[in-house]
Amino acid sequence: MRFLMMSKPTDEPADEKLYAEMGKFVEELTAAGILLATGGLEPGGVRVTSSGDEITVIDGPFTEAKEAVAGFALVEVRSREEAIELTRRFRKIVGDGESVIQQVFGP
Amino acid sequence: MTDIHRTIDAVWKLESARIIAGLMRIVRDVGLAEELAQDALVAALEQWPAQGVPDNPGAWLTAIAKRRAVDHIRRARLHERKAQAYAREQDQPPEPERDDVLRLMFISCHPVLPTEHRVALTLRVVGGLTTREIARAFLVTEPVVARRIAAAKRVLAEAGVPFALPGADELAGRLSSVLEVIYLIFNEGYSATSGDDLIRPALCLEALRLGRMLAELAPDQAEVHGLVALMEIQASRSAARTGPDGEPIQLHEQNRGRWDQLLIRRGFTALLRARELGGTPGPYVLQAAIAVCHAQARTAEETDWVQIAALYDALARLMPTPIVRLNRAVAVGLARGPQAGLDLVDALRDDPALRDYHLLPGVRGDLLLRLGREPEARAEFERAAALAGNAAESAFLRRRADRIAVPGPETVTLGDSVRAFLARDDLGAETLRSYGQSLGRLCLALGDRVALADLTADQVTRACAAQWTDTSAASWNRHLSAIRSFTAWAATRDLTTGGLAAGDLATGDLVAGGLAAGDLAAGDLAVGGLAAGLARRAVARTRVEPIGGPELERLWARTGLPLRERTLWRLLHESAAGVRVVLSLNVEELDLDDRRARAGAAWVSWRAASARLLGELVAGRTRGPVFLADRRPGPARTPAERDRCPDTGRGRLSYERAEYLFKRATIDLDPAGRGYTLHRLKPR
Repeated sequence: MRFLMMSKPTDEPADEKLYAEMGKFVEELTAAGILLATGGLEPGGVRVTSSGDEITVIDGPFTEAKEAVAGFALVEVRSREEAIELTRRFRKIVGDGESVIQQVFGP
Repeated sequence: MTDIHRTIDAVWKLESARIIAGLMRIVRDVGLAEELAQDALVAALEQWPAQGVPDNPGAWLTAIAKRRAVDHIRRARLHERKAQAYAREQDQPPEPERDDVLRLMFISCHPVLPTEHRVALTLRVVGGLTTREIARAFLVTEPVVARRIAAAKRVLAEAGVPFALPGADELAGRLSSVLEVIYLIFNEGYSATSGDDLIRPALCLEALRLGRMLAELAPDQAEVHGLVALMEIQASRSAARTGPDGEPIQLHEQNRGRWDQLLIRRGFTALLRARELGGTPGPYVLQAAIAVCHAQARTAEETDWVQIAALYDALARLMPTPIVRLNRAVAVGLARGPQAGLDLVDALRDDPALRDYHLLPGVRGDLLLRLGREPEARAEFERAAALAGNAAESAFLRRRADRIAVPGPETVTLGDSVRAFLARDDLGAETLRSYGQSLGRLCLALGDRVALADLTADQVTRACAAQWTDTSAASWNRHLSAIRSFTAWAATRDLTTGGLAAGDLATGDLVAGGLAAGDLAAGDLAVGGLAAGLARRAVARTRVEPIGGPELERLWARTGLPLRERTLWRLLHESAAGVRVVLSLNVEELDLDDRRARAGAAWVSWRAASARLLGELVAGRTRGPVFLADRRPGPARTPAERDRCPDTGRGRLSYERAEYLFKRATIDLDPAGRGYTLHRLKPR
């Protein structure tokens, strides 16, 4: 089963050590055949809303930046617990903050 | 399972391969390494629920397992004084290395193991699956899997397989053994050979994980990337290849919008990596290239069949297995026309390996349909449906058959007439059962709905040859009798006309059929026709290997054996007579003075040892069977008079019972551990 792990932005700027540890973590998960895709997201982005026939396009940044997603990882695991365990390890590397994992259905 | 247990299970599955591989570095025995790792798991199960999951659960498990390993070695050194072997290990266990898991894979997939054992052991030690999970995935019982794993560990220990990467000279062979195991696991999940679930996704996922892992560990092997590419692309179609009711959807009818583009992209990347490494493409790279061709076509019509047929040509040269050749026929049928495909398929029809393979008639039905030969196509789809082991697939093929309206008058089908034949009341139950088996097979081979009138001797001959290649002569003759009897019956009912016309009944055919023309009654003429190509086979007597001298001596030296058994065995050995003959002897037929007895038209004679025992055994008796059963038979099972002692009412010792007792008594003598049959008492 697949899970999408999304992480919210933190105030702490990333340092060398964090990059190195993250690189190692990503490499390990790839080697284990678990990590399918991963990436960081630009802050803000573009918001597209629809209401009736009307489509509104708004450029960021937005005020509720804390709710935004800063990075994601798509993992293929055997159980929800495996996804939780991986997220736990990820959080230990990046420090304080919040991640959300959700199972991906389909395609 | 509680939450904490599920967490432990998840950690275990993520870490166990690395833990076991690391332990292998210390203890060099996969069975022991796995046991020590399991000890660590047990410790986790005991401690984590109370103390919570440690910060780094993988490191925790590894530390415990290593401590156990070191303890174990200390003990071994103490008790067995294998100081030298372990001296270099000291108390500092060696550091794990990056390719430890790769070494472990090479060991669990070692060619010294039978394939099923490789699969079970790999899923267990590399995949981290439990015995129960493996059993469920392969639809076998837990004890079966446990036995396979135990046997694999034992064989590896006995063979002394080192914890090392294979050298250059054996790398290709060892690697292909690993790839085979992974692809087998994938296929078991992808095309579940039995059961109602068409995909067992967990196994596919496991195989994909193993393949991706291997690709990282052995990045310079093109075939590894080829296999990964093949699996990624096949897995990309998982969602599209079954319909809402679980029925299979063929590749060209699949909704390509449901193909998983992420996996397709991963497949492309893997194949590119394989190509970059260069060299002549191996079987997995070629299969992956074929899969990529399909994945690149936006619609089924855009498929580059010419390219695919060319790839199959290359693949068939590399591995001309019946399945590859069948797939090649499909590709050729689409690239170069249905007749070209049919020619290739027809060349495969006599291959015994495809005897029960439902896709052969399935493909043939397709090609026949495209050639406008509807009745034949329909018969092939029906045959395919009957052969398919998977319920969804069988239903699908039956629907394909039903969709073809066969015009024309009512025809008498093979299936109907076989059923009518078997409904006769003038045959014994045993004969009917035997005929039913043979003719049922024939229906499966030729198609239940094929018109009897269209059947030719050639078709029957080929079907029989493919069905019963490896059977013994006796079984072959039994099948032949069934077919002859059936056709004779059909001929008298005027059911077989057309195809069984005089043309098939040339004298040459009859002679080839092993029948003298004079033996044939009118009804048998048609039989000669259908069974014309089938000759009876001489029943070769299998040579029975007598029991070896030393074993026999030990048998004779035994004490405490019942008199009856001792007598029977000695008599069989000294007389060299058949078991049934000896068991049929009666007391009144014994000539104890001349040491012989009349058995029908022949004589059975013996020597001193039997003479002494026989005298003892029949003491006081004047008539009835020499060898009697232990107990008096129950009232419902009174034996015939000649098989009963008129004085005591006890029955004659049966062959089965005598055989059973002998086997049981000799199980420890027989080096094969099965116990001997009475036949083997004959003298050397």
